[in-house]
Amino acid sequence: MSANFSVKVGRHNDFISPSQACVVSLNSLKKSSPQAFDDDGLVQIQSKKLLNPDFNQASALSKSDPVKVSLHDCLACSGCITSAETVLIEQQSTGEFLSQLDTGKKAVVVSLSPQSRASLAAYYGVTPLQAFKKFTGFMKSIGVRAVFDTSCSRDLSLIESCKEFVTRFRDNKNLPILASACPGWVCYAEKTHGADILPHISAVKSPQQAMGAIVKRYACSSLGLQPEDIYHVTVMPCYDKKLEASREDFVFSGEVNEETDGPQMTEVDCVLTTTEVLDLLATKSADFTALEEAPLDRLLANVDESEQLFGVQGGSGGYAECIFRYAASVLFGKEVTGPLKFKVLRNSDFQETSLEIGGKPVLQFACVYGFRNIQNLVRRIKSGKCEYHYVEIMACPSGCLNGGGQIKPRKGQSAKDLIQLIEVTYANDIEIRDPFSNKITQGLYDQWLGHPGSAKACEIMQTQYHSREKTVGSYISDW
Amino acid sequence: MSLRLVQELAGHDDRVWSVAWRPGGGPSVLASCSGDKTVRIWEHSPGASPSSATWVCKAVLDSAHTRTVRQCEWCPAGKLLATASFDSTLGMYEKIGTEISFIASFEGHENEVKSVAWNSSGSLLASCSRDKSVWIWEVLPGHEFECVSVLNGHSQDVKMVTWHPSRDILVSASYDNSIKVWAEDVDGDDWRCVQTLAAPGRGHTSTVWGISFNATGDRMVSCSDDLTLMVWDTSADCVSTSADGVAPWKHLTTISGYHDRTIFSVHWSRVNGLIASGAGDDCIRVFDELRDNVSTLPGEGLSYEMVLKQEKAHSTDVNCVRWHPKEPRLLASAGDDGVVKIWELVGGDLPLLSNESLPYDPRG
Repeated sequence: MSANFSVKVGRHNDFISPSQACVVSLNSLKKSSPQAFDDDGLVQIQSKKLLNPDFNQASALSKSDPVKVSLHDCLACSGCITSAETVLIEQQSTGEFLSQLDTGKKAVVVSLSPQSRASLAAYYGVTPLQAFKKFTGFMKSIGVRAVFDTSCSRDLSLIESCKEFVTRFRDNKNLPILASACPGWVCYAEKTHGADILPHISAVKSPQQAMGAIVKRYACSSLGLQPEDIYHVTVMPCYDKKLEASREDFVFSGEVNEETDGPQMTEVDCVLTTTEVLDLLATKSADFTALEEAPLDRLLANVDESEQLFGVQGGSGGYAECIFRYAASVLFGKEVTGPLKFKVLRNSDFQETSLEIGGKPVLQFACVYGFRNIQNLVRRIKSGKCEYHYVEIMACPSGCLNGGGQIKPRKGQSAKDLIQLIEVTYANDIEIRDPFSNKITQGLYDQWLGHPGSAKACEIMQTQYHSREKTVGSYISDW
Repeated sequence: MSLRLVQELAGHDDRVWSVAWRPGGGPSVLASCSGDKTVRIWEHSPGASPSSATWVCKAVLDSAHTRTVRQCEWCPAGKLLATASFDSTLGMYEKIGTEISFIASFEGHENEVKSVAWNSSGSLLASCSRDKSVWIWEVLPGHEFECVSVLNGHSQDVKMVTWHPSRDILVSASYDNSIKVWAEDVDGDDWRCVQTLAAPGRGHTSTVWGISFNATGDRMVSCSDDLTLMVWDTSADCVSTSADGVAPWKHLTTISGYHDRTIFSVHWSRVNGLIASGAGDDCIRVFDELRDNVSTLPGEGLSYEMVLKQEKAHSTDVNCVRWHPKEPRLLASAGDDGVVKIWELVGGDLPLLSNESLPYDPRG
């Protein structure tokens, strides 16, 4: 996971951290002795330990070509944060967002995540509804065409995940299923664990990419636009969502006609973190608390006619809980009502729940957040000792509400106090509703995708993962 | 005082990085690890005088690693031997009787693991890596090891980890010139950095290569590429650090002017109270506290003098020095020349510490 620089400079110390092994061989760094390169290409003038064969091997592989680092390389790597940062700043920044608005060539559409909404609400001391309306008012005032809510696309991801689970459970194939919504986790799994783990990861797209698909491949017509005329921005609690948006898997072709292939388009053009929204407000000298509460775009937002926000339980998307209830009902005829009881294991970021029939556990689910817990889970899966059927995995401790892109604690506020406040705010005034009963997702199926789990739904709502090979970069330093 | 070479232990095919005395009873046992990817187990002849040249290599352990073994450490009971390797894994061997078998390997670090250390009870294991992270593992029954915490805080390669001799407080030393102290949260949910010993306060100005506590754990010594040793007062309860970031562990004194090349290793004897250093100038030095200072305040006016310097202890860099855990006059060293050396301290009155203060596991 390469882009979580915000977390790194913050207080949290348990996440998938950047390491030094860039997949791009930094050829220009290779020199002969007596200089040894320690980490990050810093030169330490000292002849010690240059004789190591591993070092020589790395040197022998060097060439003199200039180094080019693309975002795609960075996706495959948790090597250096600086190159990824540079690329991301160029392509997905408040500056790029504002310049898109300025040129006016494309209609700018913004999708706000409920986690970012909670972070803004907690920071400004307003309700999530107020935060959403003020955010909408601000975005509209600077020229944004529409403001949507990814709780809505998340319901679509959840429904498809339920379907996927039941299918795989019946086939007893690649269990446990591991959640795919966290790009930090996905990136880490691709780079570090490859074929051992990737088949376990849910093929269903994250709420961000589901929203991207909906906006550019379906809803654009409701807005009277072609997909290539839309610049789609999401606001996320997480820097790695920028990397996710840049994956080649999320590039699709527009209309094909007889002469040309369709234009290549990305589902999401730009991801801004919650913190970057603060920057944006500052740039525009906007006082958030004084902003007008604008009406919401109900086309793609979980808000009903009485302005009641609704969604699922769980700050990280509620995957485990939602799929558990669905599977209990569909597979075992058990309707699980009331809040699910999770048992805390080693620490609060490792919890499990199960459905027992006749004293035997038939469904075993877990929520596993933070790098340390992911380590133990992955080791269990690799050694065949993992009993779970589904695991909601998130790279950040405490999950997505504590994402690296969330607004930092105010002075004197502890990180723990802040996350507790955001958790309370997140659930505040949100009515818990079953994704299957969401009229918007029902409409999407009726008019576009067919039915949950249909071939078309799978084609549009699923993605794939790729093992990334490490290269010699990881062998530069050896002492 | 001087060092007499008891025996030179040859066998490794590459530089020797580290040595570890096995705690516990029976004949003295020393493990050494090397760039040749192996660990060698050396045993002293049972019943022979401690300073007799009766060391033999009992085993060559080569099952765990595909690259350099950077450090090896016995658990306090002397039953398990943990290894840290540049192949990014940790290895675990178990000693049953005279047999030593490979029992587990654990992954997690992104790249070269530089150091491994057991806590005083043997229930926790720490490791650190070039990936800048420090990991804490819990030892579970049935040869299982679970990751308890992954600690990010250092901005560079972490060179060494070591535990306080009696409390569950972990110390790490890094290429970022700092020493960090880690402890468990009050609520027991995770570990965190409770203090950083570094400039702009008192701290090393270059890579910190090694750290070692004294027997009681109220002092710690660190060695660095800045050619100094620093002695720290570690008696303060560092878990309840104030939020203002003031390190409760205090710098006591800096031992400078003795080394002119990088100091790679430092070890504080838990038996004789002397500090040994191993450096890039091929020398081993031994330091003792100057005891004629009369001071009412602890640490005030504290200074250390060099009581011996062994020139050409190894033909190239001295990578590791370790005092014997029980025999007050025995010291082991490891060098880039591929050999392990056992030394006897000759002459001088040794300030023997009482055995009660020794933190070693009584079960051993």
